Amino acid sequence: MNSGLPMADTAQIGVFICHCGGNISNTVDVTEVRDEVAKIDGVRVATTYEYVCSSPGQDLIKEAIKNEGVNRVVVASCSPRMHLETFRRAVEEAGLNPYQLEMANIREQCSWIHNDRLQATEKAADLVRGAVERARHLEPLEPEKMRVNPGVLVVGAGIAGITAALEIADKGYRVHLVDRSPSVGGHMAQLSKTFPTMDCSSCILAPKMVQVAHHPNIKIITLAEPISMSGSPGNYTVTFRKLPRYVDEAKCTACGECVKYCPSRVDSEFEAGLSQRKAIYIPFAQAVPNKYAIDGEHCLYLNKGVCRVCERFCRGKAINFDQKEETLELNVGSIILSTGYEQIDPKIYGNYSYGLHPDIVTNLQYERLMIQGIHRPSDGKPPKKVAFITCVGSRCSGDVGQEYCCKIGCMNAIKEAVLLDKSIPGANPWIFYTDVRAHGKGYEEFYADARNVHNVRFIRGRVAEVMPNGEKITVRAEDTLLGMHVEEEFDLVVLQAALVSPRGLKDIAQIFNVPIGHDGFLLERHHKLRPVDTSRDGIYACGCVLGPKDVRETTLEAMATASKVATFVGKGEILSSPEVARVDSTKCDGCGVCIAICPTKAIEKTDRGVRVNPISCIGCGLCVPQCPTGALDLNHCTEAQLLAQIRGVSSGGTAPKIIAFLERETPYASVDLAGQTRLSYAPNIEIIPVPSVGRIGVKHLLQAFASGADGVALVEGDDGCLQGNALREYVAKLKKAVAPYGIGPSRIMSTSTTIPQYEKLLNFFEMFNKNVTKAGKIPDEMRQKLGKTIEEVST
Amino acid sequence: MKYAYFPGCSVHHSTAKEYETSCLAVSKILGIELEEIPGWNCCGSIDAVYAYDPTASLALAGRNLLLAEKISSNIVTLCSACFFTLSRARRMLQNDVSLREQVQKMYNVPVSGEGVKVRHFLDILVNDVGYSEIAKHVKVPLRDLKVASYYGCLIVRPPGLGSFDDPEHPKSLEQMVVNLGAQSIDLPDKTRCCGASLFITHEEAMVEMTRRILGNAKAAGANCIVTVCPLCQFNLDAKQTDVEAHVGSKFGIPVLFSTQLMGLAFGLSPRELGLNKNFVPLHSMLLNAGEQVVEVVVAHK
Amino acid sequence: MKELKVIENSVPDPSFLETVQKFPGGEKITDCIQCGVCGGSCPARAWMDYSPMQVIHMIRHGLKDKVLSTSTIWICASCYACTTRCPRGIDIPILMSNLKRLAMEEKVPAKIRTKPVFHRAFMEVIQKYGRMYEPELFLKVADKRDLLGLFHNASLGFRLMRKGKVGFKPPRVSESSEFLAVLRSRNNNRRDNE
Repeated sequence: MNSGLPMADTAQIGVFICHCGGNISNTVDVTEVRDEVAKIDGVRVATTYEYVCSSPGQDLIKEAIKNEGVNRVVVASCSPRMHLETFRRAVEEAGLNPYQLEMANIREQCSWIHNDRLQATEKAADLVRGAVERARHLEPLEPEKMRVNPGVLVVGAGIAGITAALEIADKGYRVHLVDRSPSVGGHMAQLSKTFPTMDCSSCILAPKMVQVAHHPNIKIITLAEPISMSGSPGNYTVTFRKLPRYVDEAKCTACGECVKYCPSRVDSEFEAGLSQRKAIYIPFAQAVPNKYAIDGEHCLYLNKGVCRVCERFCRGKAINFDQKEETLELNVGSIILSTGYEQIDPKIYGNYSYGLHPDIVTNLQYERLMIQGIHRPSDGKPPKKVAFITCVGSRCSGDVGQEYCCKIGCMNAIKEAVLLDKSIPGANPWIFYTDVRAHGKGYEEFYADARNVHNVRFIRGRVAEVMPNGEKITVRAEDTLLGMHVEEEFDLVVLQAALVSPRGLKDIAQIFNVPIGHDGFLLERHHKLRPVDTSRDGIYACGCVLGPKDVRETTLEAMATASKVATFVGKGEILSSPEVARVDSTKCDGCGVCIAICPTKAIEKTDRGVRVNPISCIGCGLCVPQCPTGALDLNHCTEAQLLAQIRGVSSGGTAPKIIAFLERETPYASVDLAGQTRLSYAPNIEIIPVPSVGRIGVKHLLQAFASGADGVALVEGDDGCLQGNALREYVAKLKKAVAPYGIGPSRIMSTSTTIPQYEKLLNFFEMFNKNVTKAGKIPDEMRQKLGKTIEEVST
Repeated sequence: MKYAYFPGCSVHHSTAKEYETSCLAVSKILGIELEEIPGWNCCGSIDAVYAYDPTASLALAGRNLLLAEKISSNIVTLCSACFFTLSRARRMLQNDVSLREQVQKMYNVPVSGEGVKVRHFLDILVNDVGYSEIAKHVKVPLRDLKVASYYGCLIVRPPGLGSFDDPEHPKSLEQMVVNLGAQSIDLPDKTRCCGASLFITHEEAMVEMTRRILGNAKAAGANCIVTVCPLCQFNLDAKQTDVEAHVGSKFGIPVLFSTQLMGLAFGLSPRELGLNKNFVPLHSMLLNAGEQVVEVVVAHK
Repeated sequence: MKELKVIENSVPDPSFLETVQKFPGGEKITDCIQCGVCGGSCPARAWMDYSPMQVIHMIRHGLKDKVLSTSTIWICASCYACTTRCPRGIDIPILMSNLKRLAMEEKVPAKIRTKPVFHRAFMEVIQKYGRMYEPELFLKVADKRDLLGLFHNASLGFRLMRKGKVGFKPPRVSESSEFLAVLRSRNNNRRDNE
């Protein structure tokens, strides 16, 4: 397990340096690098080749393994992000463990960015030397195989959840489809028509609702909310709190007798507050399950002990007040979060006077009015002149309102205006907008129809005031295109209210350990490359829970999610990366510092100390430097490997030398991108990839300085394990810890970045280089002293 | 609790003297202790001074805040413009250290504002005294009086700067009116600016802006307007005949300060409340206010 | 031959935007989404040649001369209806005040003649007495050529005095004499440099 001296002694390293058809060899003198490296102890084979990734190139490597006793391979070529898998497969085919291959990036991070042949060659030699030293300590590793539970949980049964559930169920997997309301369907069930096709919303949704009800692979659970989750990817256990329906689903025939007699009235959620329902109710006629439910909060009997009238009149004897709240546990392999959205209460915008006149309504209320046959809530008369106001609560900075565009307001307003024109002869719809965002398929054409066919009047200007004026409502705005004031009276005013994350999303995020973005919605793993993944393996998200969107985009995401889930659970087993933390139980004293630090809660206490769950561990390495006894180490980035690489890279070259530890996903990719763009930066900056900046501790910094570095840069990804203040605090601690050794704070610097911000990163390098140059070369005596003290430092 | 009282120029020695007179009179009855800040200067006048010399404006405001701190943790003003100016200056001086230092250096005045909260007198009435306490002192319910409450702009805007009522649909003044026994008339555009100091520099604009308010009040059936700002009261009252001339029709709506209306309800005489200083005659309004008011008027004639 | 000028009568000044961004109220100039709720809310909009939204747009284009010669900056009554409803929370009134200041400093002729005169006169009265004294303010601001207006305001003034509202005597505040001295010297310096 430990890479102690015996293994390192027997390492026989083969080094293969690629010309890359001139991409490398035109700048780097590969022959010289080869000659340098051949001198290193343990290097059995050192050779250059035109294209190492080609078939004959790979054969060279395989030959060396099979016939020349090579048991560690170093390929110095392009970025590992290009060909790591290629070379791993090659060495595996030759019988060597793929984790005993190391790559040195001498193209994107060397030949492509430097012009001076001498400097580029020196740097390449450093990087290869570092790779060789690291390779010496590489251990064979096997990924863990775990059986995956093929069951899937979908939390939230709106159109997103329903679509995902059906796709997954059709693929043959069992799905639990859970919702906290008494019926599936979500907000889409409330809508009249959908843009731009003008499909009747219920008509396209209801069949799907019926499908989920009857699908042999889908189990619907209503009135349930998750309260906790445990386990690991492929084997999650989710606990639910299931509220009692107080109605026996097997006996209820939905005849509706009970409703007639119930004395309690509540604002109807489905009717968006326009009318009331009873305490015993069915959310809407097409509800699935098509059963009544009693609202425990408003039922007279459940609160005051009197009534029970519904029970008396229920024909099927289905009322059961003895039902209790239950706890439900589900074991699944994969989870989809599709809990949808809510809309703001426009009351917060006093100038829109929502709530002060019955004919000032939200878009959702308008949908309900449309379904009922469009009329004014005040007097039931058909509204002729209607104002549709967009951006109510959207595109606002500050404490009130949301920064983001609601994405559907413009199209929704246009749709609603068109519907008005189709429903009422002589209708006069006005839309007050700031920008018309008609971005989707068929949207611009729909907008044209609104103007050309449906007499919709467009006024460009955010509405300043909506004021009740007797029976009518006055709307004031400036038509900014003309610079003229608009002051008109309307029969009805419809506010396109901003979409926000649903109540309780923070709890969901905490339970499933997934992050929430700046906008209050769930944050996807990557905006473009992993848009439906969350940061947790096996947990996905789709629909408006990720941010506002229309029905088409929702179903697209839901189908994408289904595909990902199928891939995840489909193999039946998951291979989890062996690049995980491990504990030397002889050194562990059970202090538990690591447990608190672990971002994925992968470490647990045992009676003999601690244990790392290799499935949950993401291999960030934050725990390793923090362990006071040095009991923790990280597979494939062990202390021995890391220190050896640091020594190897730092020992050559000209001063001032800067070692940059880059988190190997985001900043490393960013620097590669800079290389692809052929942007230049100083050759004295040499990069060592690490799983996270948190992997680096005082020991490694001291080793770097002792071995030849004059400055150390630390770069984490914006989405990495150490973010914002946590990163700053961590680096501050490191600086403080090395200060007593005579290393000034200007010699260590950190930043965080995203992949596209490579220019910012290069500016950072330049600035840091200036600082380090100013601080000067570290004197040799200090380096020698440091070398001695390294052994004494435990963290 | 003692309040540091900042009259402001209009109220103290100019167009709104009766606001102070009536304010002091009702304060006595309600037990509100106001101590005038000795040596106070112009508030800094939102824009008049600020646009000419911003640091001077901040220094003027800052000096007042400093003097007030010696008396109380609350500085109270009657004028909405002063209220806004002092509030904004306080926030600017608190948030921007270099600005504060600059002002201090230039004017040799250690300005701050941290120790004192800026409040409008209406806020004191509504939140410190309370409606029920006010109602207790009503001797002459203004039963038949139809009062339109005109807030003006700066007492409720911008939100978050010390305003104590909703910026779009404030209710405090109307609630006050009801507690004084009068009928509160809904006034459209009750927070829309009257034009304020535009009466000096662009009278045409001010006249139209004021006309709208008077027109709304008349259309709503009010027989008087109650207001809380000297600038508003001046434009609505002293300039009412000019507005009438411009429009070609009469309004004849008296415009009272909140404290004057309150004083009437408390049974004080019109003279005590400076009602003789109003431009638009109050005669018919007082008659409409109910028998008891008439008695009060007659008794003090 | 008539030519359609894209931006008429002005030489764009790129440093103008930077200057304005440093004014209070100017920090969020580039954040404006040009929605127009400011103009829609403004009670004085009818007397403005350009809406506040347009003025901000001009600033972003560096149209300094155009901005400083609008009537907009002079007409704003600082009622804050715009800021209350602005989705980006831009403090437009204080920005307008600062633009006026710039206009006065650079001696750009104001669309509304009385305004710069008003500001200067107001300041002079304040620095003299520490408090406002309307009669003197009026005398300084009044357009001597407009006899009718002069007469009208004078008669209003007399009525105010007769009613005991405005005093015959200006206010004297002895406690603030030191402070006022500083005010006076600063502004006298400015006047001399004008």
